[in-house]
Amino acid sequence: MRFLVLLISVTCAGQRVDPVEFFETKVRPVLAKNFFSCHTQTKLGGLEMTSRESLLKGGKSGPAISPDRPEESLLLQAIKRTHERMKMPPPPNAALTADEIKDIERWITRGAVWPPPVGAKTAGPGYKITPQQRAWWAFQPVRKPALPAVKDKTWARVPVDQFVLAALESKGLKPVAQASKREWIRRVTYDLTGLPPAPQDVDAFAADASASARAKVVDRLLASPHFGERWGRYWLDVARYSDDKLNSTQDEPYDNAYRYRDWVIQAMNNDMPFDTFVKAQLAGDLLPDKEKYVAGLGFFALSPQFQDDRVEVTGKAFLALTVACATCHDHKFDPIPTKDYYALLGVFTSTDQGEFPLAPQNVVDEYRARTKAVDESKEKLNKFLDTQAKQLSEVLAERAADYVRAARKVVNESADRKITAAQMKLDDPTLERWVDYLKLPAREHKFLDGWQEEAKLPAEQIQKTLVNVINEWKDVEEKNFIRLGGSMARNDLARADLLSLPRDKWLLWRDVFSNQRHARFTSGILYYKDGVIDRFLSGEWKAHFEGLRAELDRRKKAVPDRYPYYHVIRDRAKPRNERVRIRGSNENLGEEVPRRFLSVLCDDEPQPFQKGSGRLELAEGIASARNPLTSRVFVNRVWHYLFGAGLVRSLSNFGQLGEKPSHPELLDFVAARFIEEGWSLKKLVRELTLSSTYGLSYQTDAKALVSDPDNRLLWHATRRRMDVEALRDALLAASGELDTKAGGAPEPLTMEKNLRRTVYGFVSRRKLDGTLALFDFPNPNSMSEQRIPTATPLQQLYFLNSKFLMDRAEAFSKRLEKEAETDPARIKQAYRILFYREPERAELDAGLAYLKSNPKAWPEYAQVLLSSNEFVFY
Amino acid sequence: MNSSSTKLFPSSMARPSRRDVLSAIGSGFGMMGLSQTLPAATATTPRAPHFAAKAKHVIYLFLNGGPSQVDTFDPKPMLTKYHGKPAPSGNLRTERKTGALLGSPFQFPRCGKSGLEISEIFSELGRHADDLCVIRSMHTERPNHEPSLFMLNCGHVLPGHPSMGSWLNYGLGTENQNLPGFVVLCPGLPVIGPQLWSSAFLPAVYQGTHIPNQETDPEKLIQHLRNKQHNLEEQRKQLDLLRQLNRMHLKREGNDSQLESRIESMEIAYRMQTEALDAFDIRKEPEAVRARYGDGPFARGCLLARRLVERGVRMVQVYYGDGQPWDNHDDILIHKRLAQNSDKPMGALLQDLKDRGLLQETVVIIGGEFGRTPSVEVSGLVKYQNGRDHNNHGFSMVLAGGGFKGGFAYGATDEFGFKAVDKPVHPHDVHATILNQLGMDHLRMTYRYSGRDFRLTDVAGNVIKDLIA
Repeated sequence: MRFLVLLISVTCAGQRVDPVEFFETKVRPVLAKNFFSCHTQTKLGGLEMTSRESLLKGGKSGPAISPDRPEESLLLQAIKRTHERMKMPPPPNAALTADEIKDIERWITRGAVWPPPVGAKTAGPGYKITPQQRAWWAFQPVRKPALPAVKDKTWARVPVDQFVLAALESKGLKPVAQASKREWIRRVTYDLTGLPPAPQDVDAFAADASASARAKVVDRLLASPHFGERWGRYWLDVARYSDDKLNSTQDEPYDNAYRYRDWVIQAMNNDMPFDTFVKAQLAGDLLPDKEKYVAGLGFFALSPQFQDDRVEVTGKAFLALTVACATCHDHKFDPIPTKDYYALLGVFTSTDQGEFPLAPQNVVDEYRARTKAVDESKEKLNKFLDTQAKQLSEVLAERAADYVRAARKVVNESADRKITAAQMKLDDPTLERWVDYLKLPAREHKFLDGWQEEAKLPAEQIQKTLVNVINEWKDVEEKNFIRLGGSMARNDLARADLLSLPRDKWLLWRDVFSNQRHARFTSGILYYKDGVIDRFLSGEWKAHFEGLRAELDRRKKAVPDRYPYYHVIRDRAKPRNERVRIRGSNENLGEEVPRRFLSVLCDDEPQPFQKGSGRLELAEGIASARNPLTSRVFVNRVWHYLFGAGLVRSLSNFGQLGEKPSHPELLDFVAARFIEEGWSLKKLVRELTLSSTYGLSYQTDAKALVSDPDNRLLWHATRRRMDVEALRDALLAASGELDTKAGGAPEPLTMEKNLRRTVYGFVSRRKLDGTLALFDFPNPNSMSEQRIPTATPLQQLYFLNSKFLMDRAEAFSKRLEKEAETDPARIKQAYRILFYREPERAELDAGLAYLKSNPKAWPEYAQVLLSSNEFVFY
Repeated sequence: MNSSSTKLFPSSMARPSRRDVLSAIGSGFGMMGLSQTLPAATATTPRAPHFAAKAKHVIYLFLNGGPSQVDTFDPKPMLTKYHGKPAPSGNLRTERKTGALLGSPFQFPRCGKSGLEISEIFSELGRHADDLCVIRSMHTERPNHEPSLFMLNCGHVLPGHPSMGSWLNYGLGTENQNLPGFVVLCPGLPVIGPQLWSSAFLPAVYQGTHIPNQETDPEKLIQHLRNKQHNLEEQRKQLDLLRQLNRMHLKREGNDSQLESRIESMEIAYRMQTEALDAFDIRKEPEAVRARYGDGPFARGCLLARRLVERGVRMVQVYYGDGQPWDNHDDILIHKRLAQNSDKPMGALLQDLKDRGLLQETVVIIGGEFGRTPSVEVSGLVKYQNGRDHNNHGFSMVLAGGGFKGGFAYGATDEFGFKAVDKPVHPHDVHATILNQLGMDHLRMTYRYSGRDFRLTDVAGNVIKDLIA
């Protein structure tokens, strides 16, 4: 009924309008305004709105328009909002006006005419970054703001404090009291080195009443080689560092990966300017003095190799921009056109993985030549043996009938095998194989069923079958060889259209002629492998074989140890641009994009990179004082490591979907200072740790909790559980067992005698160490901006039962035994080592009572202290 | 939830209590870990779903390697008829070259009252046909194991995304605080390995706990489950002292939920020692029950899955075996041997769940990462030509229990079983529908990470109402 009415209304309108014009003036603008953002480049719900066909095809909910029953078209129901689920454009967007709905309805009922596009289809309309987009806070140049005025003139120690205090005062809040000296030195020592302070350092600091007491501590810690071990590990989280590849079926270590890890640690210890540090990781091979920087390329060379994550990691790690969101379409929120993604991708696809040998060229050449010689020798030997084995198997097959007859005697008549073989002039070991094989209760093929009786299966027929099978197999091999053009490359094999023996014949061939294992045989019964074929060789053959074997042995011995090297990337001889993959599809290529920097970070049209892949130019664009992001992003990470949360809490996303800074001016002040001070991490850390803000206590304040429960304004310090590295290292430090040897090849943390710092343990992408996984270590398959600490019962089982903890407790109690005489004195010593204080009366009593109940309870008691909250949190 | 506006805790409280944290978690707790150690006891406590749930648990029986649909749950008489002939419309591109059509060597008897056709190799499963909801129109992105394993497990073709079990525990918590909420049973490792049950950017408390179930001794199953030196009584004394010292510390420091929650977590760990030992010890099952499941790692895995679900574990995943056993490029007859080790335990599990009234509240999923081609593989990577290549264009997945229809087949592949043509279903849709059965709206179960709200279903997924009873 409604359909009829509709038709009439259209007819009654009586106007003859050109359908194309109607579409262009009345319909397309409405569709464009309301739907194209979700249904052209991205097909939300699977629906594309680019042609009549695409509407007929529809999305996951079915066709958008239905030509038979236009009034029931999904699109109409959606825009009229009569559909139970689908209401378009989705609320809270306003519904279309009655007129707009009427026009679309009219358009659909008249056949939904949609003229084909004019001209070739490209990746999308020309992309222009609007002034509004450029106005986003993170794209503004870093400018050093003036210090804000504060009421309390006594609180601030450093300029940073003034920004914090001003913000608090503006909300009528006050910071809580400063932490005790004991609390402060424990905090700063963990933060800077990941290790607990030594009791004597705490005592010295407590006794130092000078104004520079804190600065002395900080300077000492910054100079410690342990600084790099702590801060290097922070960067390794970002760099998704791992000692292996994510191989899907087996372990595959990167044997020299640790050299990148050590380079990062050294860079932190040497206070390598951060801009140089960045450049080294993108283009260390292209910097002057490349020997100092080339190891940094491990940042990309040690990638998971499972996906191309290089653009994504570059964007997030250095710039806190989610560039990879523009893989399939222009970024939905940030000014990153999809072309920018492919501009950067081209830089990386113009590079290869490689190695940078840390040995003279002649050493490298020799190693390569010698391993090649071994491979050649091996191949020669194997080929010779395989040829002999195949020929022999065919020779033996020609006598199969005799072997079967002999086997019948042995099996059916219990004749002696050796005697039978001798009588019939057969090879006894071969007869033995025949007997064993024929005696199998079942085979995977039926060719030999009934072999026991000549009447059922004549011996001659068995022989004929075997000869036929080997001939057929050779025929198939030959034809396949021609089809493959001799290639054995995996890809060629996978795509080739080949022949094969039928299943049962293949199984017979395998059982008799192949070099493959089956049942309990190590090869086909007539195929003699290396080690058992020797006795068939004689004369010239034997001499040749022995010569090959001796040559191989000689060559193997002559191979030197593999030279050390860095995992690096390097430019390909011919760099090339990428083409836009329309909607991310490899089959749908759009225009070619020159390799260049991100548009929004260029003042004008970005210029194509000129040098090789463009890595150096990319590095210079990132590590530039004029880049508004790089310095802000890094100082914000540093802030996060020291204060437990960044000024921008989304550490790797400074875009629209990230968070805005809690203290924008403070962030800029710190970033500007950072650049001013030559991108020095150590100077930055020094300034921040000497602040009053850093020195706050954990105290709470009822008023502040009400207005700022999340502590965004930094009115108190946040207590933190040690991360897994600090925890394991602190346990080893307490027990006096920590091995502080720096650098070198990683060893598994599961190894009992591995008492080194956790940062030197083996990190696996494939199977992360159990302890690391238990204590929130990040997944090294993708970049990690921060760890989310948890406190699970499984973690507590580690404290209750792990061998590692029990061993530390045992060692700790032995240490105490040596360092003090009596139980009370030992308890006091334990408190001094772990907590830098005297035990309270009640604590001492509790300890003594526990020890009294069981004279051998010292390790158990030590375990309790090592598991306590006071030890685990700082 | 945008954490800049996050009010995790009502500001009137001097310190958040457990209840406040819980209510904050209920709404998704995005950036919570930033300033506070996530308290385990609260992070894993059961939470109310978005709407009334039909099911509470998931058991995912993963037949890794890619079982063939046309030899298991998707009978194709045309394939038998045209055996040895080229497919009229050609072969779809898969990983490797395939040739003529290869009829299934197996019969498909009609099973149960519903008459659902299920391959003879799954005869025990066939006895439960009236409880099975077979999706015959699955499809996914790539004909390669890794991306498809990631897609089925984590809703994304690349690594770095949380697995379904992690999402479920994040969204719903788990009912038994003395056991991990997401347990993965696999002797050795499937292809890719632990990344498949990773919590990725979700807090580590939600990661799957891998139990290498080639072992039978429960003490070898969970790391640090048992103390080799102290008995429980001695340990209790130790813990009493620890608690006493921690309480004194807490009092001195003023209340702090992080400190409190670790004290609590320590007690849970203590209880877990007994509870987990018991739960993972299938030797405690009567002989008759164990006989019904049969022997071998997969059978033990199925039995353990029932024991764990019974005890409130949110999700248990049982991999058929190490590597990718169902990847039968060479010879489809190998499916028969694989079925011999899995058919009986799967049947026993369904029966057992039913007998205990657990089936209605447990979603059982049976399936692999993709299907196989109806055409025979002829590439140079096979020994002989009696097997099938990977097929992402069409495959089957089976759901049972948890409010799904029984004796029901949904969607269809083309007449030869190559491609899903009728009502295609993507893993995102399956995930969305399973979440729905557990009372969760897949669009609303989000986690804010790196400035974006992430979902198990990425930016897609539809609840398939037709599958629901």
